[in-house]
Amino acid sequence: METPRTTQSQTQRARAPKQDQGAQQKIQQMRELFADASAVGKKALENVLKELTTQVSEPPPPIESAGRVGARLGKRSELTIVVPLVPGGAKRLRTFLQLLGGNLSPGATKVGTLHDMRFVFLDNDTRLLFATSFDGDWDTYIDDFIALIPDYLDLMDSAWEGWPGIRNPGAKDYLVKHQITAEGWFVANPELTLAEIDRLKRQGKAVDEFLDKVGG
Amino acid sequence: MSSLVPKLDLHEIQATVLRQRPAPYFGTHLLFRVDDTESGRKFLRRLTPHVDSAAGWWSAADPWLAVGITYAGFQALGVPQDSLQSFPESFRDGMAARARQLGDEGVNDPKHWDLPYGKGELHIGVSAFSDSEANRRRILGIARKQFEGFSGVSILAMQDFGAQPGDLNPLGYKDGIDQPAVEGSGVEPLPGQGRPIKAGEFILGYPGESGVPLPMPQPDILGRNGTYLGFRKYQSRVGAFNRFLRAHGNTDEERELLAAKLVGRWRSGAPLTLAPDVDDPALGADPKRNNDFNYANDQRGRQAPFGCHMRRMNPRDTELSRLTDVNLHRIIRRGTTYGPPYDPNALSQEDDEIPRGAIFQFISAKAMATIEFLQQEWINDGNFIGAGDERDPIIGLQPDGATYTIPKEPVRRRVHGIETFNVLRGGEYFFVPSLSALRWLGNLADKSSIEQKER
Repeated sequence: METPRTTQSQTQRARAPKQDQGAQQKIQQMRELFADASAVGKKALENVLKELTTQVSEPPPPIESAGRVGARLGKRSELTIVVPLVPGGAKRLRTFLQLLGGNLSPGATKVGTLHDMRFVFLDNDTRLLFATSFDGDWDTYIDDFIALIPDYLDLMDSAWEGWPGIRNPGAKDYLVKHQITAEGWFVANPELTLAEIDRLKRQGKAVDEFLDKVGG
Repeated sequence: MSSLVPKLDLHEIQATVLRQRPAPYFGTHLLFRVDDTESGRKFLRRLTPHVDSAAGWWSAADPWLAVGITYAGFQALGVPQDSLQSFPESFRDGMAARARQLGDEGVNDPKHWDLPYGKGELHIGVSAFSDSEANRRRILGIARKQFEGFSGVSILAMQDFGAQPGDLNPLGYKDGIDQPAVEGSGVEPLPGQGRPIKAGEFILGYPGESGVPLPMPQPDILGRNGTYLGFRKYQSRVGAFNRFLRAHGNTDEERELLAAKLVGRWRSGAPLTLAPDVDDPALGADPKRNNDFNYANDQRGRQAPFGCHMRRMNPRDTELSRLTDVNLHRIIRRGTTYGPPYDPNALSQEDDEIPRGAIFQFISAKAMATIEFLQQEWINDGNFIGAGDERDPIIGLQPDGATYTIPKEPVRRRVHGIETFNVLRGGEYFFVPSLSALRWLGNLADKSSIEQKER
């Protein structure tokens, strides 16, 4: 059942009784699905059920859509791609990543919006899982990426089967086609962009310096 | 680096794309609905000989007519389906339907817009620009003659603009100073304008900054030498603006400095980067000097605050928090002021509602994408300059409790209670076809059947 998605708490309060009913139904569905789960699973469900009931009837704001595909929480978006690799692609990409000791900073730092990225090779190096989370929408800045870091993107993405090249107008469609929206996701501080984190760090340092002076 | 500069077909490109507004300027926007396909085409056939090309851009004293057509307009003109589909999605949606991408919510929500905006009825826009009231009347007369006397094309709105003393905008500033230089346009860049930007960013059919032309509507004759124009009508809340200045400045000097800190320029047009402490009207009036600066010596925003309107709209060499090529987000602006001039003593809420403001025409070969980028990133956010949630103090949509930060020694000044000073009251995306495209549109149907109808 699809529950109405809203972030307005007033609306949520007005709909509370209905949601309770929905929560009961969802819990019931969980019980049914776990009927043929393992004993460990069944026991675990019973143990967390009380806490779960509260969580389901008073849910936090749901994750939103980050444009065409992908999920968004506050100012943060996630992008998960599973893509087939061309023959030899895994080796090229792995060697490139190892060249950097597997750590993509400082290059990735320059983008200014990337919180994390991970590259995981699957199925005997025939497929790649690429997952990242970042501030805002990625396609807003795609022209900037094309202008400023096209070769880094093509160097990595040329391992992907059918990658048209970042300059190709079809590149966006390619990414959308291979992107899988996360069903669940957690972000501790969804309102904090990287720029905001930097600002808070600077401010914290300034406050400490000030307090050091005052405190002698 | 030795890329050849393409020669622009200036006789094909509409004058308004490359021609600067005259000073002083007088003009009228006319908005039309096409009720009947044949009449719409006939209107275009009659109007096109009077639409000016950019070939005579240097004679800005001559009045000129410009024509733009919306997606609904192309539908009403019976443009073939495959042509319609070749326009970008955002253009096909129209500006009102893109409210989410544009952040046009709250008081700027299309549901509050003036008629005829946002109803899908607006099909053709004609703008007349001139340097005197007499010339405005003359060119307007020419435009009117082309639709009067036959049914099937209705005029929805007529808006005079310009004629402000000193050409000041509704909040009392000299504006329109900083424009991108277009490569190959034959217009000598002014000092400080930056390197000329590839013509393809502003006119379809030429290489853009990436080296290739942007996708254009088909067939070729329809797209080539055309461009897009975002039309946004703002109502200026002059009372709210003056109340804000008075609440945060005790003397005229303090208020004028605050006003300058919001824009990045004094009312005269003199930039804070060159005149940080007091206004310099001679500097403001001199087009060779009033834009000739960068932010190399102001990387902390002590002169022009990071969040000021001028620095947001063109960050130049400001260090940005996101990987950005500032040359990809430039747009040609043709601001047209309407209503009574700025009144420094207007303080009431009634003053906020006096019809007075500016209709902005933003011109670019990817105007929809650029306007959406500017609205999302540079106008209604502060993240790109490390200013958190703060928004453009002049054209931003301010939430309750909004602030504006002015970097200062020893500690920054944070001004509370900034309001939305310019409220959006309408808007639409237009395509500005080449002169050949206008003729193609006018002659779309089988020629003999049209001739029979005209007899």
